[in-house]
Amino acid sequence: MLTCGRFISSSAATSTASFFPFRTLTRSLVRRPAPHLLSSASAAAATAVELDTNDGSAGGGAGVVRPQWKAAIDFKWIRDNRDAVADNIRTRNSTANLDLVFELYDQYLTLQKEVERLRAERNAVANKMKGKLDPSVRQALVEEGKNLKEGLIALEEDLVQLTDKLQLEAQSIPNTTHPDVPVGGEESSVLRKEVGSQRSFNFAIKDHLQLGKELDLFDFDAAAEVSGSKFYYLKNEAVLLEMALVNWAISEVSKKGFTPLITPEIVRSSVVEKCGFQPRAKNTQVYSIEDSDQCLIGTAEIPVGGIHMDSILAESALPLKYVAYSHCFRTEAGAAGAATRGLYRVHQFSKVEMFIFCRPEESGKWHEELITIEEDLYASLGLHFKTLDMATGDLGAPAYRKFDIEAWMPGLERYGEISSASNCTDYQSRRLGIRYRPSPSEPPSTSTKKGKGAASGPTQFVHTLNATAVAVPRLIVCILENFQQGDGSIVVPEPLRPYMGGLELLSPKFK
Amino acid sequence: MKGKLDPSVRQALVEEGKNLKEGLIALEEDLVQLTDKLQLEAQSIPNTTHPDVPVGGEESSVLRKEVGSQRSFNFAIKDHLQLGKELDLFDFDAAAEVSGSKFYYLKNEAVLLEMALVNWAISEVSKKGFTPLITPEIVRSSVVEKCGFQPRAKNTQVYSIEDSDQCLIGTAEIPVGGIHMDSILAESALPLKYVAYSHCFRTEAGAAGAATRGLYRVHQFSKVEMFIFCRPEESGKWHEELITIEEDLYASLGLHFKTLDMATGDLGAPAYRKFDIEAWMPGLERYGEISSASNCTDYQSRRLGIRYRPSPSEPPSTSTKKGKGAASGPTQFVHTLNATAVAVPRLIVCILENFQQGDGSIVVPEPLRPYMGGLELLSPKFK
Repeated sequence: MLTCGRFISSSAATSTASFFPFRTLTRSLVRRPAPHLLSSASAAAATAVELDTNDGSAGGGAGVVRPQWKAAIDFKWIRDNRDAVADNIRTRNSTANLDLVFELYDQYLTLQKEVERLRAERNAVANKMKGKLDPSVRQALVEEGKNLKEGLIALEEDLVQLTDKLQLEAQSIPNTTHPDVPVGGEESSVLRKEVGSQRSFNFAIKDHLQLGKELDLFDFDAAAEVSGSKFYYLKNEAVLLEMALVNWAISEVSKKGFTPLITPEIVRSSVVEKCGFQPRAKNTQVYSIEDSDQCLIGTAEIPVGGIHMDSILAESALPLKYVAYSHCFRTEAGAAGAATRGLYRVHQFSKVEMFIFCRPEESGKWHEELITIEEDLYASLGLHFKTLDMATGDLGAPAYRKFDIEAWMPGLERYGEISSASNCTDYQSRRLGIRYRPSPSEPPSTSTKKGKGAASGPTQFVHTLNATAVAVPRLIVCILENFQQGDGSIVVPEPLRPYMGGLELLSPKFK
Repeated sequence: MKGKLDPSVRQALVEEGKNLKEGLIALEEDLVQLTDKLQLEAQSIPNTTHPDVPVGGEESSVLRKEVGSQRSFNFAIKDHLQLGKELDLFDFDAAAEVSGSKFYYLKNEAVLLEMALVNWAISEVSKKGFTPLITPEIVRSSVVEKCGFQPRAKNTQVYSIEDSDQCLIGTAEIPVGGIHMDSILAESALPLKYVAYSHCFRTEAGAAGAATRGLYRVHQFSKVEMFIFCRPEESGKWHEELITIEEDLYASLGLHFKTLDMATGDLGAPAYRKFDIEAWMPGLERYGEISSASNCTDYQSRRLGIRYRPSPSEPPSTSTKKGKGAASGPTQFVHTLNATAVAVPRLIVCILENFQQGDGSIVVPEPLRPYMGGLELLSPKFK
């Protein structure tokens, strides 16, 4: 009997593989309880359910481009927490389509089961052919085997395409949200801490552009000719100020056990995506390199996250703490208006970034540690700022929780964001493929099994966190505008003076 | 046709005028195309050459100066890659995954070393009257071309940005040269001397083989560059000044190096004369170029449109003409020069390989120690 006829008969499809025969298939089959589908990475009894397409068959239809990577999505968890996930998507204003994910997931399960069933039948037929058989019986089995094989190839192609589509939809589901995060848009963000107060001036103050012009610190006009708008040259003491901020930040943060890094600024676009950014979206922030799959980084978060991609770390190595210096490049597409004046919004800037890989139980604690480091840095510079617990509408897909610091910029008459500290939990690590192997809870006994593998548990995803130590241009805005004096000079914050050869004041020069 | 004319005469003239006009339009179009083609061809003519420049290929370059000598080691030495591995200073493997080959992460003391080299170079050179600059690293491709590079050539060194006429700079020479493009400078402002810090991006297309090992040839690196705009009569003198600054910097680091007067076959289109410094890299068993100082005379300034107005030679007399224009000459093109102060990766190669000790530690050159919190030694850590 041609068992494959069962699933083809109800459709108009013939023996040639149509694009989505499984649609007919799913409608004609009764839903069965979902089997546990395990990814190849965690073979033991894992709680995560991931998609398995390691069937070695044809990779989709002719000309179909498979995605370069896939996140290790926990489908079972999503299914078990459907309402919470839907709620989260809503409060974050995410465009993820959860209903579609569920629909595709059900189709996937059904199709997967059908594929397994066909494989089993094909194996059964193959087994039957092992013994001594009548030629006519053998011939019939060969025919049946051939039909099963063709049917299987078609179904497996469909499965691959379905899996890719499901994966793509599911990957756009944003991270879960910390229960204390305020719900709403930007205005719902909650004040966590306030340091200092707005300085009152007894003279007419200037903004950083005017101060910079008088002190010959920047050139925006020449940069507009050479490069375009929102580019700039730093000159004279502004160069010393940038170098001082970077040197000081690396020094202060590495004292706290962070390993200094200088990173590549050109990365593969897949790594950008795995960190939760979208290089190909309309109005993307990401610059791409022509004739290449490479992009410019918008933050060192990307190459630092990537440094351990596709790795299994020892638990004893955690937490891994890095302080990374890089230039950052952002298109700022879609950002226009007065909020882009001078150094406030630029295409290229220097930044020192903190990044932590840790065990899940510790990410909350490290988030607090990171924000404290930031607050200490800015307080020591003498800035007045507010730390905000950002609301759900402002989180961005990877962040479980995000604290922003906004500092007072008297010349621009506004508080402006100077740093951001995010706990991304396992969002990035599921995409970058970064796991750790928990250490054995007891030392190995007299068991004859060698090595650590036996007693330690299955691998888990690490949690990742990132936080700005210094983003140079906006700190220059803060320093110039807050510490200006009536005569046009600027007082250099004390912590930076040793890094500027002891310079205490930026003074107007008689030029 | 201005006077009073017979209608038939007028008509004939109108016809004639019309024919002339059409012919003229056609010819003017041809002239534009011809001019463009002429311009393109002429622009590819390289700069003139200083009479003392040796003629020939790379091997004809002439030794100008040699400082120090190859250190003899009484232990088996390692190259910078091995030293870096043992001291946990770089990661090329992770960078190959994240970015591609010839990318790298600097870690731990290598970060301090890079920062020290940059800080020290900016400090030393600005003491000599150079204005510090930090420049854009994305520039319009036209500016790249005006400096004498070719972003669109096959095997170009230049990375281009997608959907844009912008490129990544391979050297700060480009944005610094561009800072005064299409300008007329006062003679009294010259010379304008800049020391510029930037990252540099190079495709290194067409460069393969053993000469690309480790930090020797990479796609991204930090560089502090010196750039001078000056009067034509002075460019020779400033070229000597620049090479002297470079030699002093590397001598103070304790490096052994040779200064070469590069031969005609190695000049590159913009350079009238070029001095390269090659330093001894014992681990790589070779002299490797660590800097280059070029006098581009007016090659770049003719493309970037940078002129200066010579000051009047005598004070204005009782002439009734106002302003300086009358007594000063016509504008002239400035001369431009560029020279590497520090190109970080190859200096790291030099420092690690030359100053390694038998126990695997590295002696930090004295001038850099104040910029590294006083650190004197990079020691293997017990990890």
